[in-house]
Amino acid sequence: MNRRAFVQSLCAGLGTVGLRGALHGATPHFAPRAKHLIVLFMTGGPSQMDLFDPKPALMKYAGQRPASVDLRTERVTGGLLPSPFAFKKHGRNSVEVSELLPRLAGVIDEVCVLRSVYTFNPTHTPARSLIHSGNISAVRPSIGAWISYGLGTENQNLPGFVVLSGGASGLWRSGFLPAEHQGTQIARVEPVPDKMVRYLRNARLDAEAQRRQIDLMQAMNRGHNEEFGGDEFLDGRIQAMETAFRMQFAASDAFELKQEPDAVREEYGSTQFGQQCLLARRCVERGVRSVFIYYGNGQPWDDHQKIEKNLRGRCPDMDQASAALIADLKRRGLLDETLIVWGGEFGRTPVSESGDGRDHNPYGFTMWMAGGGVRGGMAYGATDEFGFKAVENRVSVHDLHATILHQMGLDHEKLTYRYAGRDFRLTDVHGEVVKAVLA
Amino acid sequence: MRENREPNPMRLAAALFALPVFVLQAQDSAGVEFFETKIRPVLAAKCYACHSAKAKSPVGGLALDEKSATQRVIGNGKLLRAMKYADPNLQMPPGGKLPDAVLADFAKWIELGAPDPRTDAPAVSAKPAGPDFAKGRKWWAFQSLREAAASKSAWAKRKHDGFVFDALQRAGLPPSPEADRRTLIRRVALNVTGIAPTFAETEAFVNDGAPDAYEKLLEGLLASERYGERWGRYWLDVARYGEDNPTSEATNPGYQFAWRYRDWVIETLNRDLPYDRFVKMQLAADQLPGFQRADLRALGYVGAAPVYHKDHRLSRDVIETLASDDWDERVDAVSRGVLGLTVACARCHDHKFDPISTKDYYAMAGVFASVMPARLPLKAPPDAETERKQAYAQTRSFYLNYLVRLMKGEPETVLDPEKKSAGFKEELARIKREYSAEVTGEVAHAVIDAGLWIDGSVADLTQLDYRVGQPRDLPVFKSGNPANPGDIVPRRFLTVLERGEPLPFTRGSGRLELAEKLFSETAAPLAARVMVNRVWGWHFGKPLVGTPSDFGTQGEAPTHPELLDDLAARFVANGWSLKWLHREILLSAAYRQASKPRADGREKDPTNKWLWRMNPRRLDFEAWRDSLLADSGALDETRGGPSIEIDSPTAVRRSVYAKVSRGRLNPLLKLYDFPDPNQHAPNRELTTTPLQQLFVMNSPVAEAQADRLAQRAVASSSDERQRVRFLYRAALARDPNGREVDLGLSYLERAGWSEYVQALLGSSEFTFWP
Repeated sequence: MNRRAFVQSLCAGLGTVGLRGALHGATPHFAPRAKHLIVLFMTGGPSQMDLFDPKPALMKYAGQRPASVDLRTERVTGGLLPSPFAFKKHGRNSVEVSELLPRLAGVIDEVCVLRSVYTFNPTHTPARSLIHSGNISAVRPSIGAWISYGLGTENQNLPGFVVLSGGASGLWRSGFLPAEHQGTQIARVEPVPDKMVRYLRNARLDAEAQRRQIDLMQAMNRGHNEEFGGDEFLDGRIQAMETAFRMQFAASDAFELKQEPDAVREEYGSTQFGQQCLLARRCVERGVRSVFIYYGNGQPWDDHQKIEKNLRGRCPDMDQASAALIADLKRRGLLDETLIVWGGEFGRTPVSESGDGRDHNPYGFTMWMAGGGVRGGMAYGATDEFGFKAVENRVSVHDLHATILHQMGLDHEKLTYRYAGRDFRLTDVHGEVVKAVLA
Repeated sequence: MRENREPNPMRLAAALFALPVFVLQAQDSAGVEFFETKIRPVLAAKCYACHSAKAKSPVGGLALDEKSATQRVIGNGKLLRAMKYADPNLQMPPGGKLPDAVLADFAKWIELGAPDPRTDAPAVSAKPAGPDFAKGRKWWAFQSLREAAASKSAWAKRKHDGFVFDALQRAGLPPSPEADRRTLIRRVALNVTGIAPTFAETEAFVNDGAPDAYEKLLEGLLASERYGERWGRYWLDVARYGEDNPTSEATNPGYQFAWRYRDWVIETLNRDLPYDRFVKMQLAADQLPGFQRADLRALGYVGAAPVYHKDHRLSRDVIETLASDDWDERVDAVSRGVLGLTVACARCHDHKFDPISTKDYYAMAGVFASVMPARLPLKAPPDAETERKQAYAQTRSFYLNYLVRLMKGEPETVLDPEKKSAGFKEELARIKREYSAEVTGEVAHAVIDAGLWIDGSVADLTQLDYRVGQPRDLPVFKSGNPANPGDIVPRRFLTVLERGEPLPFTRGSGRLELAEKLFSETAAPLAARVMVNRVWGWHFGKPLVGTPSDFGTQGEAPTHPELLDDLAARFVANGWSLKWLHREILLSAAYRQASKPRADGREKDPTNKWLWRMNPRRLDFEAWRDSLLADSGALDETRGGPSIEIDSPTAVRRSVYAKVSRGRLNPLLKLYDFPDPNQHAPNRELTTTPLQQLFVMNSPVAEAQADRLAQRAVASSSDERQRVRFLYRAALARDPNGREVDLGLSYLERAGWSEYVQALLGSSEFTFWP
């Protein structure tokens, strides 16, 4: 008997009974377009003018400081800084993409570029908090927790909300939502799965010996429950114990990247971000609801200085892995039901900082979405002639949240949680679904 | 947050529309016709639904079917601004911006002088804006406390049992019989001390034939210092105790000595300090009579509260918003924690449901805008003046150092970093000269009275301006927006909890006055109800009011209102003694009931609202881990001091000493439903998840305790049956039955003792709280 069949035999007959609270009768408000969400988060704030939002006027007015760019940002800024990168039109609708991103350009027909996103704070921490939870103070539930709360998970043997991030942060918190909805963090994609999930593997017992131990424990538990006369917590715990046992193998299976053919692993690239994207695909394939990937440690896209050199160094692996994820999901027929969202906490200024960098810019920046029922091959909205402020078809961070929830089958005005005396929403009192980008 | 404001043409326009111009032009018939065809239909279709004098309470107090109100919002420019969606905080109608043609009609109509043939609806326009406090004061939770007569029955042991019994009678359910002694000692020991009783303690109680055996047991538990560690943790949830900040950046570093506040809470509960004084000290220990330096630790409630990072390169408005978020957190922690009122709901608008106005909110927020966090020495400085100066010098130096660092690497354009930096360095040197005595020795995170203003006078560098001894009355920030200040509100208490108009606070920041007001004749009944309800909930697993931090109209009603009032009245009469309250609850027949399910109860009252049994529970994280350590023999009962890393297998102190980080909460605490220490937590959600079971099954912590206990078992006897018995006694405080011994022995044929012990410690019985 091979290992997998053996493990299946250990788990046989136990059924897959839902846990108390894990599903809580959660159903979408309407038919969802996407079952899964993958967020590719570019911490630090990537530059829209250099990647997705070409601004020829920057060249024309290079070094100048027209009145329209005199918007307050975090640091002191100088004159307009042209992008050193060439843009070309790609795909059936001629969407312009920077030369830094040849592979994403190749799948642009699956991508909807949102050029007019804006948010409300020019500093990293509050801005990140805003884009994760709709609020500047770092205490509200993240969108991943809201989705877990609203939809539950499809696979009882894996966490419903997985976070791939090397950093420590509260960005995937459940806030006032029940704790089970918080993101389960995997700090680093490793060749060995049990390094990724805490306490995943028993260091002492093999599966068979552990099965015997759990059988003993469950025999005691059932005896105790019977003697007590039956209790919900005691029932729930017996089930949770079985699920935990199965999770050891389910997670080991899901997280074992070496099961992938070499060609696939190479397509994503051997970098940490590449491996994270591949892991995300394996997770959604197995029913994980949301996967949030954070590119690099710290805030790598925070290019206050030397932006040209930095982007040249950083873009290739981001480009390769993001494009591979889209292509791979598409081949497997999963792209339709998986919404991918790419972006940072804000964008960058068209005016220079320190001569060769760009400051934070919450007034207008680019994010993109792919799959999950959004229109591909499309650029939506526009910033002003220099790329500073969103001026056309503006998409606020709340609109973005409303749209993501909508694709997941959730009405952002109905997804509420009663706390501290009132009903809270991810979008508070804001948010409009951006219908124009929906397929 | 809002967008940066743009120049507002309507301001100018508004100035031009002085009222007399209106009146002269208003009533020409063409204008009226324009109104009737172009304007009134839009108002009726798009605005009246919310803004009509016919509505019970027009939103924002604005009735657009009244001429005068309509003129008012034309005059101040708000109508067009809202309709144009120019202000992200005021966009009307909320369903979507009206077509440009309609906006053009309104602009034209206003240009014409806004001719309007309508009149005001007199009855409604006379209605005062804001909450109706007179009516609000009639809410049940604000009424004075009255002891009530309780029925007598053979079942009742304490007075409040009468109320429980009557409610059960009405529900047609008998109470459950008293739990067996084993269950009872496990239950009460966990409630009072947070550690399960040993086999020896259990046997002694089971075999104690004295009529007052239970009373003696309870007294012993309440006298134990473990009591303060158990109940201290409950309070720390309410007080959102943490040892750092949500982000812990340059301007909001961690609180290295926050644990002194935690220790003060534990010690003080063990001394059974009256609850009212316990709370007052946390706001104003230094201003209360009988103050001793060690009491400064109590001020950690405010002095180690969460603050957000303020990057001083941001605009004044952004920094003021961040500061007001800090004040908001304090308002919320005090109002929900102590009073069970959601005052923070009134930050942007009058509370939608409870009689709390935005003025009430800013009157209370002003107290917290008038204090400065400071590390104060536990050893007395020469005099109070020196202490204040030192505290200020400390804070100021901290910010100056931060500013100097900030200036490094700034481009030399507008900022002139060198010049600014030089100024800061000069001031730093001056402070060092003048206050050479740096605070040394043991310190507590406390506060001194100093108002905070946000200084935006220097371009590109916003500064915090603390003024020692000068309190700050805040303006109402309209829609919660500091860039939109309204009337200044003097610092004072909540109107609804005063007899008449509240008087302004006059002493320093007003924190002592606020503390006193929380327990004034009109507020004390609420504060007492809230605390009695919390304590009841921690004992029974379910409070009488299901929303323990919301006693307002949106909260739940008490299941046993007479019981709550009577118990709260006697709690106050007994000097706010928590130990008195514990005795009263724990000695009752209601508490001593068995928790086993009953068919009639499950059918008639499945949620056990009427207490036909005790609620069975699972152990919270702290009680579970502490009992595990106690049973394995590893528990180190050293009290107090710096915190421990809770998930280390070598950590063997009680869980209340776990380091609590607001930004990076230990994953083990997160796994077991520890509440978010960034804000007040009304109660804990207790979940049962597979990840928790992975910890039980696979963690080094669980393995280490299993190993330890297994070694003791092996050393205790060479006989396997004896060892199994030893282990049942150690882990579950009872002897195994024959079936259990056989089960164990057959398992041990193919497994080691450690694995067996791990199964015992991982069993449901170990983690059950019957």
